[in-house]
Amino acid sequence: MQTWNYLEYAAWGVSALLGLYMVIDWLKVDSTYSEEVLTSSREGELEAMTEQHKL
Amino acid sequence: MASSDITSKGSDDATPHGAKVGLLRVLGPAHIWALGVGIVLVGEYMGWNFSVGKGGAFAALIACWFAGILYTCVAMIDSEVTSTVAAAGGQYTQAKHIVGPLMAFNVGLYLVFAYTMLEAANAITAGYLISVVAGMMGHVGDLDQRPFIVLVIMFLAWLNYRGVLATLTFNLVITSIAFVAILVLFLSTSGVLGGGIMQHAALFEGHELPYGWIGVLAAMHFGLWYYLGIEGTTQAAEEVRSPARALPFGTLAGIMTLLIAATLTWYICSGILPWEFLGDGVDGAVAPLFSAAQLSGSMALVWFLGFGTLFATLASANGCINDASRAWFAMGRDKYLPFWFGAVHPKFRTPYRSIIFLVPIAMIFALGAPLDQVITFSILSGLLEYTFMPLNIIQFRRKWPLNSIKRGYEHPFHPLPAIVLLCLCGITFFAVFLGYGTQLVAMIGFYIVVSLWFHFWRYRFVNRGTQFTMPWPKPHGY
Amino acid sequence: MAHYEAPKQSKAGQLLDVVVLVVLTIGALFVPLWMGMAGAAKTVANPDANPTWESLGQNAVQAAQYEKLGYTPETAHDLILARFDYSFTTAALVVMIAVIVLYYFLMLRFSEVEYREVISEKFGDK
Repeated sequence: MQTWNYLEYAAWGVSALLGLYMVIDWLKVDSTYSEEVLTSSREGELEAMTEQHKL
Repeated sequence: MASSDITSKGSDDATPHGAKVGLLRVLGPAHIWALGVGIVLVGEYMGWNFSVGKGGAFAALIACWFAGILYTCVAMIDSEVTSTVAAAGGQYTQAKHIVGPLMAFNVGLYLVFAYTMLEAANAITAGYLISVVAGMMGHVGDLDQRPFIVLVIMFLAWLNYRGVLATLTFNLVITSIAFVAILVLFLSTSGVLGGGIMQHAALFEGHELPYGWIGVLAAMHFGLWYYLGIEGTTQAAEEVRSPARALPFGTLAGIMTLLIAATLTWYICSGILPWEFLGDGVDGAVAPLFSAAQLSGSMALVWFLGFGTLFATLASANGCINDASRAWFAMGRDKYLPFWFGAVHPKFRTPYRSIIFLVPIAMIFALGAPLDQVITFSILSGLLEYTFMPLNIIQFRRKWPLNSIKRGYEHPFHPLPAIVLLCLCGITFFAVFLGYGTQLVAMIGFYIVVSLWFHFWRYRFVNRGTQFTMPWPKPHGY
Repeated sequence: MAHYEAPKQSKAGQLLDVVVLVVLTIGALFVPLWMGMAGAAKTVANPDANPTWESLGQNAVQAAQYEKLGYTPETAHDLILARFDYSFTTAALVVMIAVIVLYYFLMLRFSEVEYREVISEKFGDK
């Protein structure tokens, strides 16, 4: 049956698109923001931050 | 001793929209349940039945319950430690604060491997399932499973990349469907609704314990598969709104769900399928609940369980990507791994570089290694991690006795759970040794090599004092 | 103890460390595979030339389930008779126990040394 052969190609295609999206977005983010901002997350800091203003 | 609040640490001028980006706190207890159960429920749909093959149906039930005890200990211990050490990285961060850096590095690797291997196993199963569906719908010839395996990994990585809330909400929905599918199958085959088709007595006749009692021990190996991954709930600690409450609640609700699901699964499958077929997960029952549905004679059940199986594999792979990337990210942030991995996406607030990095790794294993090898690698990493937990909790209680810091949850009967857990881990090591001994030794050999690499090379890049981030008093005895 | 200032690692160094880890990981999985040591194979100890459901030890109910699954005694033969071999030598068991204990011992020792350093830098030597 032809349908499933098309589905195989479709799966390859969609995978490639998703992969491409991630790689492009990754490169875009890396060039837009400085490395200091991107790696500014520190363990424990967020904890203190959110617990201050209780919901 | 004065009670010190774990939340008392002063923060910098950090704001969510300021110069700093961190993970986003958006999750509730239901998401934690979905993360924990979602990763594990696939174990009910495939894989656990290898334990039937290793010891027979009764042995599998005994293993199911003993493994249940093991994991109840894991969940209790984990809930206490993680409700206090609430940070991405879960057991890795716990080990760093309680046992020491090298242990933490090892635990971090256990986590990444256990989850990445499990993710690969899920993708393989999903690919297989799609080929079965193609066959049922009249496709002639062999379907190429590779594009579907790749698609599963890519789609879930993309979902994870885009944000944690959507990822785990998706998990909540498909996990619930998969769990309901097990309940419906039980109700419609056991005689509760309509006629039952269970034949336990006749099916067990003459095959009660085909290997004798050593088979019961051997079955413990795959008995872990019923629950493997529930400890992953801790990875969400930096993204949950109220870690001290939601993490213990989600984890303990998760283990209860799984105990029910595991027992029902055993009951359904062993009452319908002969044990030799059930116990062979390669040539026999690849997806035992699905096979059981096929014998029920109801087409609706077959489709429901088919979707249940597919959803379970997706939910599991999804949770695995989430957890493995959090652990990898946390190690990068501390420079246990290259610092480059410690980056957070400024818009989606996810550890995007870690997510991308682990995609090709998962694919190598999903496309290049056989299923039982991948599963064993995952189980072994998990087992090493569970052996670490009792050591962890004993030191935790010794270095910070109960009233010295504020705990979100205190588990009862300490040190009994720790001792039980240690004994059960010993038994499981022996069970793995029966049949998979060389792999066990090879694997530990690997961890010894990377430990030496870490201690003598990598650790020089780690800052000493600053990696201890919990606002706790100095530990006892130092 | 004196404050320890970690050196900054270059991009190339970071990349090299990742490569080392990946190679070790893939090695740990695939080397046992290549050496043919992986996996416990089930084998059929006593093949049955003319299998029937009775000679395979299946009662009427069990046979009926196999037939529903689409098996005949011939096609189910290997599936039903294959068994694991659980015999092992004491030496192998001792080696395994030794390796596991050694591993945990080594790790706890090194961890303790590193941990004391962390604590003394964080809290001072009071």
